[in-house]
Amino acid sequence: MQQPDQQPVSNEAREQLYSEFVGLQARHDLAIRRFVRFVMPSADGVDDVMQETALECWKKFDEFRATGNNARADEFVRWACVIARYKALSWQRDRVRDRLVFSERVVTRLSESALDRVEGRQEERRAVEHCLTKLPSDQRRLVLSVHVPGESVANIARETGEKARRLYSRINTIRTRLMECVRQQLAGEAING
Amino acid sequence: MDDRTRQLIFQTIDQTISTEDFVRLQEMMEQDADVREHYLDAVSLCESLGEIAGEPAGPTGEQVNSPKLDPASTSDASQQRPRARWTLVTRLAVAASVMFLVGIAFWLGRQSPQARPVPSRSGYSVADEESEFRIAGHATLRRAIDVQWKRDSIQRMEGEVLPDGRLAFSQGLVEIDFFCGATLIVEGPADLQIRSDWSVGVSQGRLRASVPPAARGFVVNAAGSEIVDLGTEFALDVSPDNARIEVIDGEVELRGGQFDGKHLLTGQSQSLKGSSSGPDLFDALSTATDLERRRESAQSQLWADWQEHSKALETDRRLIAYYRLSPTPADRTILNRANNGQDGDGLIVGPVVSTLGRFGAPSSGLDFDRAGARIRTRIEGEFSAYTFSCWAKIDGLDHRYNALFMGDGYENGEPHWQIRDDGRLMFSVMVDESQDIRHFNARDQRVVKDAGLHRVYLTPPFWDVSKSGRWFHLAAVYDPIGRQVTQYVNGESVAKEEILDRFFIDRLRIGPAEIGNWGQPFRDSPWFAVRNLDGVIDEVAIFHAALGSDEIHHLYEQGKPLGY
Repeated sequence: MQQPDQQPVSNEAREQLYSEFVGLQARHDLAIRRFVRFVMPSADGVDDVMQETALECWKKFDEFRATGNNARADEFVRWACVIARYKALSWQRDRVRDRLVFSERVVTRLSESALDRVEGRQEERRAVEHCLTKLPSDQRRLVLSVHVPGESVANIARETGEKARRLYSRINTIRTRLMECVRQQLAGEAING
Repeated sequence: MDDRTRQLIFQTIDQTISTEDFVRLQEMMEQDADVREHYLDAVSLCESLGEIAGEPAGPTGEQVNSPKLDPASTSDASQQRPRARWTLVTRLAVAASVMFLVGIAFWLGRQSPQARPVPSRSGYSVADEESEFRIAGHATLRRAIDVQWKRDSIQRMEGEVLPDGRLAFSQGLVEIDFFCGATLIVEGPADLQIRSDWSVGVSQGRLRASVPPAARGFVVNAAGSEIVDLGTEFALDVSPDNARIEVIDGEVELRGGQFDGKHLLTGQSQSLKGSSSGPDLFDALSTATDLERRRESAQSQLWADWQEHSKALETDRRLIAYYRLSPTPADRTILNRANNGQDGDGLIVGPVVSTLGRFGAPSSGLDFDRAGARIRTRIEGEFSAYTFSCWAKIDGLDHRYNALFMGDGYENGEPHWQIRDDGRLMFSVMVDESQDIRHFNARDQRVVKDAGLHRVYLTPPFWDVSKSGRWFHLAAVYDPIGRQVTQYVNGESVAKEEILDRFFIDRLRIGPAEIGNWGQPFRDSPWFAVRNLDGVIDEVAIFHAALGSDEIHHLYEQGKPLGY
């Protein structure tokens, strides 16, 4: 067992601690990332916040282990999300002048529900895939094309000759329909659990 | 939620929102939980869409990339989704050593936003859902009798797919079918190294190799030589000091080492290492017939033992219901054997088929693979804890949910125990059927049925197609006093979860219920309705108490079939 309070920590122990951390971090990276995304208004800055969160988590990992946490998944994620919330907040605070960011109160409120949602990603993803198959193929293409890396609605507008505004409105209608379908799908899982 | 608010949320995500609108939306988010939930739903959806779009092919296999565009024209920065994917890479270059490593782990984790396949201990990998399911392995452990696995070797069970790696046991007899068609019968003590579909290394053990024409060219490495089988059968005995081969029938070629190029024909033998032993060395070597005979006798012994254990279990005062589906009764009634249980007999309904049970020929089990197959029962009473235990052999998880034991109405305190199509066990108890768990205030949306408050306790996946045809002991313990739900596979705890206050319930019931299917699906969506188990169950026990891990392990030990 690691004794982080004893100084100095041997290299070997440090390495062991480190590999444990890397394992946890790698395993839960996506959950923590989703949490960060939830408390930010857009995908912008999520990478920065994630990196700062990872570094901070590593710096404090001794403490986490010392408090008797046995590195169980949910404990790690909860703990990391507390740090992530703080990092997301300070990232946004630093940029309040030049972009649209959430206020501290909104971040705090969002993070309450966000934490409960980070583990449901795969179910959600599956439901989305299922719902996508129910869409006509042109709608499916359209709604996905916004998310293709390097793609933009402006481009599609140029390609198709439609106004970007109009495209957005169509995309949002499809998204709304998908959200409803996903909700039913997941509620179905809940009902049928 | 009005359309306008929805638009604002999407505009925020797409970064096309105006400052004034954003301020408005923030105010709403601060005050209205519905708006926040809707925002989180929208983010989740867009993240999932982003993951799906980022993959090479869409869910239907079609390319999702939009019609070909000139990359030079994609410079409209204000409209472009931000993709800061590579910024971290440049940062890494300047990071200090520990930071660098953290960054690496972190970077690896984020290179593909979708869940990446994680190799599991059993050596198979589940790639993302669109791609073909694959199993890594070279052979199947077809039979295993009285095997004592060496402590530093992985313990294998009959029917398991064997990946490359070591197989070592101090005693017993195993039969290994290589995928190429070669079969080895190996007597312990033995130490093997499985290398591929076509080759195996032997550092210790007595074995008989049968190589049909399809497997010609199968290679056994021993004592510095490669033994290439050119057809039919040979025997090999490798101990620390000696190694000897004898061709029982057919032809073998030796390659490498001092005997390179030598051919051996039927009846010929060759010492590869140490002194040559007597010519009758292989007479005592087990044949497939011996193996089968030993297996049968071990099997009937286990079967007899289990019947005794099973009789003893009937008297456990904590049993609510105990169903032995073996032997299959003449009529359609499955008696509740629990001495303490009142009524609660089961009735076979629909196309339930009697088939082999987990102890092979003498035993039987019931197969629920046809849609209407089920055992119905009704168990009265109120309980303060539950333990469910069963032996099941799963042939496939074709439905989204695959039933083990299901309360009909899923009313307060009633259990659902099933397996999801991704191989996870799901155990749940309805906490408050009257409560609306939905966050979403669906003002102008269709009315959806009240789900009620409950919690699904999931295990990590324990089943995939490589496990088809194998028997599993499954158990779920719902312990309101200890505030814990523990689930077990083959006597080992695989998931433990606290019962939170919100999901706490200690007045448990069963009522009308089914084994192997679900009685009254009150939801009419067709893709949830079919839940019969594509598999066989041969024993179910339900206790009104939370059994400890030792007791569950004991149930497994007393009930495990041959080769476990």
